[in-house]
Amino acid sequence: MSLLHATWLPAIRTPTSSGRAALLVWADTWRVAAPAGPRDTPAMHPFTLAPEELRIWLNKKNLLPHEIIDATACLTLPSRTVKSKGKAKASKNESGITEEIIESNWTGLPLQAGEPIPKQCEWWPWQVQGLAIEPAAATTWLSKLPLSGNNPDLGEELRWWSHLQRWALSIIARGRWLPQVELSKGEGYPHRARWVPLLNREDDRRRLEELAARLPLVATCALPWREPTGKRSNRTTRLRPEAMRAANPVASCRPRSGRLRVANLLEALVDAQLRKGFETNTDQLDPLLTTWQKALGSETGIITLLDDEVERLATASNHWREGVAGSVAAARACLELFTPTKDADLWELRFVLQAEADPTLKVPAATVWAAGTQTLQLGEIRVEHPGEVLLEGLGRALTVFEPIERGLDNATPNSMHLTPAEAFVLVRTAARQLRDIGVGVELPVSLSGGLASRLGLAIKAELSKSSRGFTLGENLDWSWELMIGGVTLTLHELEKLANKRSPLIHHKGAWIELRPNDLKNAELFCSTNPKLSLDDALRLTATEGDTIMKLPVHQFDSGPRLQGVLEQYHQQKAPDPLAAPEGFSGQLRPYQERGLGWLAFLHRFDQGACLADDMGLGKTIQLLAFLQHLKTEKELKRPILLIAPTSVLTNWKREAQAFTPELKVYEHYGPKRPSSSSDLKQSLKQIDLVLTSYGLMQRDSALLETIDWQGVVIDEAQAIKNPSAKQSKATREIAKPGKNNRFRIALTGTPVENRVSELWALMDFLNPRVLGEEDFFHQRYRLPIERYGDMSSLKDLKARVSPFLLRRLKTDKTIISDLPEKVELSEWVGLSKEQQSLYRKTVEDTLDAIARAPRGQRHGKVLGLLTRLKQICNHPALALKEKHVLEGFLTRSAKLQRLEEILEEVIEAGDRALLFTQFAEWGHLLKTYLQQKWHFEVPFLYGSTTKTERQAMVDRFQEDPRGPQIFLLSLKAGGIGLNLTRASHVFHIDRWWNPAVENQATDRAYRIGQENRVLVHKFITSGSVEEKIDQMIREKSRLAEDIIGSGEDWLGSLGVSELRELVTLEETN
Amino acid sequence: MNTSPNKTEITTALSEKGLGQQPWWVEQWMELINSYRFKKRLERAWTYAREGNVTSIRFEGRRVHARVQGTEEDPYKVKLWLDVLNDEDWSYVLEALTQKARWSAQLLAGIMPADIERAFAASGRRLFPFKLQEVRSECNCPDKANPCKHISAIYFLMGDRFSEDPFVLFQLRGRTRTKLLEDLAKQRLEVLTAIAKKSNQENNLDKDSKTKNDTPAQAHPAVINPSLWWKYEGSLNADLVVITPAMEGDTGLHSAGELPLAEEPRFPKARQKFLSHLHEQGSKLAQHAMLQAMTTGD
Repeated sequence: MSLLHATWLPAIRTPTSSGRAALLVWADTWRVAAPAGPRDTPAMHPFTLAPEELRIWLNKKNLLPHEIIDATACLTLPSRTVKSKGKAKASKNESGITEEIIESNWTGLPLQAGEPIPKQCEWWPWQVQGLAIEPAAATTWLSKLPLSGNNPDLGEELRWWSHLQRWALSIIARGRWLPQVELSKGEGYPHRARWVPLLNREDDRRRLEELAARLPLVATCALPWREPTGKRSNRTTRLRPEAMRAANPVASCRPRSGRLRVANLLEALVDAQLRKGFETNTDQLDPLLTTWQKALGSETGIITLLDDEVERLATASNHWREGVAGSVAAARACLELFTPTKDADLWELRFVLQAEADPTLKVPAATVWAAGTQTLQLGEIRVEHPGEVLLEGLGRALTVFEPIERGLDNATPNSMHLTPAEAFVLVRTAARQLRDIGVGVELPVSLSGGLASRLGLAIKAELSKSSRGFTLGENLDWSWELMIGGVTLTLHELEKLANKRSPLIHHKGAWIELRPNDLKNAELFCSTNPKLSLDDALRLTATEGDTIMKLPVHQFDSGPRLQGVLEQYHQQKAPDPLAAPEGFSGQLRPYQERGLGWLAFLHRFDQGACLADDMGLGKTIQLLAFLQHLKTEKELKRPILLIAPTSVLTNWKREAQAFTPELKVYEHYGPKRPSSSSDLKQSLKQIDLVLTSYGLMQRDSALLETIDWQGVVIDEAQAIKNPSAKQSKATREIAKPGKNNRFRIALTGTPVENRVSELWALMDFLNPRVLGEEDFFHQRYRLPIERYGDMSSLKDLKARVSPFLLRRLKTDKTIISDLPEKVELSEWVGLSKEQQSLYRKTVEDTLDAIARAPRGQRHGKVLGLLTRLKQICNHPALALKEKHVLEGFLTRSAKLQRLEEILEEVIEAGDRALLFTQFAEWGHLLKTYLQQKWHFEVPFLYGSTTKTERQAMVDRFQEDPRGPQIFLLSLKAGGIGLNLTRASHVFHIDRWWNPAVENQATDRAYRIGQENRVLVHKFITSGSVEEKIDQMIREKSRLAEDIIGSGEDWLGSLGVSELRELVTLEETN
Repeated sequence: MNTSPNKTEITTALSEKGLGQQPWWVEQWMELINSYRFKKRLERAWTYAREGNVTSIRFEGRRVHARVQGTEEDPYKVKLWLDVLNDEDWSYVLEALTQKARWSAQLLAGIMPADIERAFAASGRRLFPFKLQEVRSECNCPDKANPCKHISAIYFLMGDRFSEDPFVLFQLRGRTRTKLLEDLAKQRLEVLTAIAKKSNQENNLDKDSKTKNDTPAQAHPAVINPSLWWKYEGSLNADLVVITPAMEGDTGLHSAGELPLAEEPRFPKARQKFLSHLHEQGSKLAQHAMLQAMTTGD
C-alpha cells in the first residue's frame, strides 16, 4: 500500500519556472531496492511512486488535485545505512586502483513512515518525484482533506496540513491580515505584494506554538532543486555535471524549531487564497496604489516600480503593520500583577520575559538586562536579543496601557507600582487588549478570569446512613458553601461585599472580582435549597466546570463511602476483584477477577455494562463467571437471553459446558425450535441461559418478547452498530425492562469508544438515557467529532460513556504480567446446511466403499475420506473443486464466517496475522475472497512460489510499514524456516493431525524477535472429524506421541467401526 | 520679497481630518512651514504640489532628492538636507536615550516618542529643525530666491512623507533606524555593566552568562526520535471547529487604521478608496472562507 505525503517547496528559481512556491504531493510505496548513495547530486528515492502511477492512484482515491505538474524535489529524510557490496566491487574492476574513496561513499535507503527506526540513523537528501500544486490550488485541495481520524492512505502530516489550512481559513474569516509590500531578497528575486496574516492575538499565537511544536518535519524538509534540463531558446539543454553539482549540492536541511517556518507556511496559504479571490478596482487610485492593488490580485504578486517607489511602499506598509503586530519571536514581554502586601495600598507590576511556547517559562527583567547582547536560555528555548524583545513589547504595551510609562523612566526597569484604580483597569479591560497586541499578562489566580475566579460552590456530600449507594436517583446528605477565588464566604458576607460597590475586593486574604449577576445567582440558589442526588454527584465529578443552577462547582468533598462508589464509577480505582464463584470450573486470571467485580458492581446499580476487552483476554469466561456468580448467590431466578452471531453459538455452548456445568443452557435455534409462547415457556423451565442468533432474535422477536428475561447479553455487540437496522432495533427493544428489571451486558472486542458513530446504538441498548436521542447525539457529538475531530466534545463523550465501558488491551501493563506469551484459543464453529448435507452424504457413500475395498486400497481411501471431510469443513467449494469465488461464498461456510469476523478485529486493531492451511486450492480461493472483501493484497506462499517471490513476500511482510496485514501460507511450504515475527496472530484454519507440525508453523511468529503476545487460533468444527481428532490429540493416554508423531498414516489403519465413530457427524443440537 | 504677509494661513489641506489627527512631527513640520513669511510664494507652491508638479521625492541617505516639473521641459532638481549630527553629538544623544527605557521601547515598537527632543537636548542639538532656515535646500531653477516655489512645494509634501516613516528624521540627521537601534543596544550594555560593577554583582552575572553561553544548542527532538519526521498526533483546536467571522469592526484592517502613505495630490480620494475596497473585498473573502470551511470533510 502507498502512503501519501505533502512537502512544501520553497520559492526557487529554475530556468523553467517562475520561482514560485508549491506543495509537492508524493507517495512512498514498498519495493525491493538496492541501497544507493549520493554522487554528484542526491540519489533517487527508491520507494516513491512515479508521477504517472501517482496520478492514477490519486485519481482512484478521489484525491487528484487540479493544476498539477510533474516535479522533482530534494528532500532530507532519515535514512538507514546499508553497505552496497556490488558498487565497491564494480569500481575496483573498472580501474585496478580505486580512485574514488569508497569509504566516503555512503549508501543506504531512506526510511519510510512507520518503519521501525534503526539504532543508527542518518539524514541524507533524496530526489523525490511527485506532483507539484500551485499554492492556490493547494489550499483548495488541503481544504478537502479530513481533519480527523486515521486514513490508511494519508500520511499523518497531511492532517497537520489540513489543520494549518483550517487556521488559514479562520484567519481570512476573521480578517486577521494586512496587505504588505515585500522587498526583493536579492538579485533575481522580484519585489512582491503579499497578504500577511496578523499573529498578534493570544489564541493565534498559541495556535502557532501548537502547530510549530507538532510540525512533522517531512512537511518542510525540501531543499531547492534544479531540474537537470533547461530550455534555452527553443533548445533543451542538459546541465553539465559541474553545474548540476553546483545547483543541487548534496546537503541536508537541519531540523529546527518550527515557529518561523510555520508562520511562513501559514502566510503562503493565506496569501494564495486572498490573492485568488481578490478583485481589483483601481478607480480613482494613484499610480502607486494602482500598481500595488493590481499586484495583490495577480498570480505572482510581482510589483514593477522604481526601486525607491517600492521601498516607500514597503516602509509605509511595514509601518502600518507594526501598529498591529510585531514579528514572530521566541519570547514576549509579559506584565505580572501582584496583589498589595499587607496594609499596603499599591499593587506591584513586574516586567518579565515569557516564552511563547510555554507561558510558565519566565525570567525577570533584571536577568534580561544582565544578558546584554547574548542569547538567553528559557528552559529549552533560546531567545535572541532578549533585551530588544522585552523593550519592544513594553513599547507596544504603552499604546494600550498608559500607566506603565511611569515604570519605564530609568534605564533598566524591573517593576513598578499601580494604584488600585489602575490595577482594576488592567484586570478588567487592559489585560485583554494587551494580550491582543502580543503582550503577556499574568494576573493573580483569584482575578485571572478563569473558572476559579467565578463565584461558585464548595460541596461536601456523603451517602445517607441507610444507603448502600445502589440507586442513582437517591438523595445524598450534603452541605455547601459559596466560594470564589479559592476562599469561601457566606451569603451575608457576599451581600456586604457587593454593597461596597468596589470592583476589586479584599476578602480573607484574597483579591476577588464580583460580577453583576453573582449576587443574584447566589440568592436564587440559597432560596431554592436544591437536593443533590447520587446521579448529580456522578455528573459533577465527571467533568470540570459543571454547574448547579449556574454556579460552577469548585470543590467536591465526598465522604469515604461515597468516595468509594464514585471512584469505582469513574474507574479511577480498579473495581474490587471478585474471585471465581463456586461452581465455576476454571481459573480466573487476576484481571478477569477485576472484570467480574466490575460486572457485578454495575449490576448492583442496574446499569448496563459493555465489556470490550481485547481479543484473547477471555470475555466469554468473565461473562460465564458472572452468570455463575448470580446463580451461586441465588440471584438467578429467570432465564437470561444471550444473542450472538450464528458462527459463535457453538463456541458459547462448548465454553459453557466446560466452565459452568451447573448452568442450564438452551439453544433457541434450528427448525425445530418452539414457535408458540407456551411451547417456549415450557422449554425454558429450569433454564438459566438461552442462546440465540441475531437473525432468529429478530425473526422471533414477538415470541421472545413474551418471556420475562432477567437479562439480555449481546456478544459481538458491533452487530447492532447501525441504529436504524432492524436487527439493532429489535435488540434494543428486547433489552427494555419487562415486568421486572432486566440487566444488559454487551461484549465486543472492537475499540468501541473510538467509533463514535457506533456508540449511540450500543449505549441505547445499555443505558438509554446517557446519550439522549439519536438526533441530539448526532448534532452534539458525532458531527463535531467525526468531521472536525473536536477534542472537547470527544472528551465529554468519553466521560459520559466511560463508566459503562471496560476495555483492557493485551499490551496493558497490568495485563501483561497475567498473560502467557502464547495464548491458544479454540475457535469452535459449526457447519452450514450445505456443509452438513455434503458431509453426511460423503460419509455414507464412502464408508461402504471402504468396507468393501481390498486391504491394500483401504489405507488410501481412508485418508482420502478424511481429506475430503476436512475440505468440507473448510468450504463446500473446496470439496467440490470449484475454481471461482461466486456470490454467496461467505454464507456457504460457517468456518469462513467466523474467520472473517476475527480477521476484522485483527485488521481493525492494526495487527498482522498468518493464516495456515494444508490445501493450496483453499489458499487460492481464500486469497481471492479476502482480497475482494478488503481491497488489499493478500500474499499467498505455497509450494509453487519461487524462491525470489518467497523472499520478496517475507521481506515485505516483515519490513514494509504498510505491508499486508494478512499472510496466507500453505502448511507445508510455509510451516518451516521462515521468520515472520511481525505477526501476532496465527490461524490454523484446518487441523493437521500432528501437533508438532502445527507448533512448528506457529513458531514462524512465536520466536525470538517477537515483541508481542501471540494468539493462536485453532479452528475446530464441532461434531465433525475435526473435533474428534482434536480430542484424541488432547488425550495423550490413548495416543502416544510416537504414534501421531509419524504423521497421518496411523489413521489409515483404523478399523471400520473406529473409523465410523470418528467421521460420523454428531448432532450438536 | 516685500509682499505684505497674507492673513490666510495655509494649513495642510492634504489631510481632510485636520491637524489634530496628525502625528506630532507632521504637525510640527506644518507649523514650521506656516512660519514662512512669504505667503504668496507659499500659495503658489501649494498649487504646484496639489497639481502634481512634484514628480518624485526620494530619501537618499541624508538627503532628500526631488524633481519638480516647472515651466521648462526638464523638471528641476531639488535637494533638501538638515545639518547632520557628528559622532560626538550622537554619543550624547545615545547616552541620554539610554537613560529612559521607554525611549528605546517606543522606538523599537515603531513609535516616535513625543518627548524625543529632550534626549537631543543633551547634545545641545535638535532632531527637528527649529527654524525653516535650518532646512538647507538647493534648486536648479533660475529663481534666485531660496526657498523658491519648487522647494516650497516639496516642503508641503514632506510632512505627509514623514508619517510614512517617522525614522526618516533620524536618517536625515545621520543615523538610520537600524543603526540607531544597534547603537542603542550597545550603549545599553555599557550602562548595564556599569550598574553591575557598582553593585558588585559582576562576578555572579559573569558566571551566569558564561554557563548559559556554553550550553550547546539543544538538538531538535526529531534528531533523537526520527519518527517525528512523520508523526502528528495533534487534534484540531476547538476554536477551529466552527469558523466564525470577525466581530463588527474587529478586523486587522480596522486595527491598523489609516495607511501611512503620503497622498498623491492629484488623487485626493486614492487612499480612502484603496482602504474601503480592501474592507469590501475582505468581507467577501471572509464569507467565502466560511463557506469553504463548512463543506470540509464532505
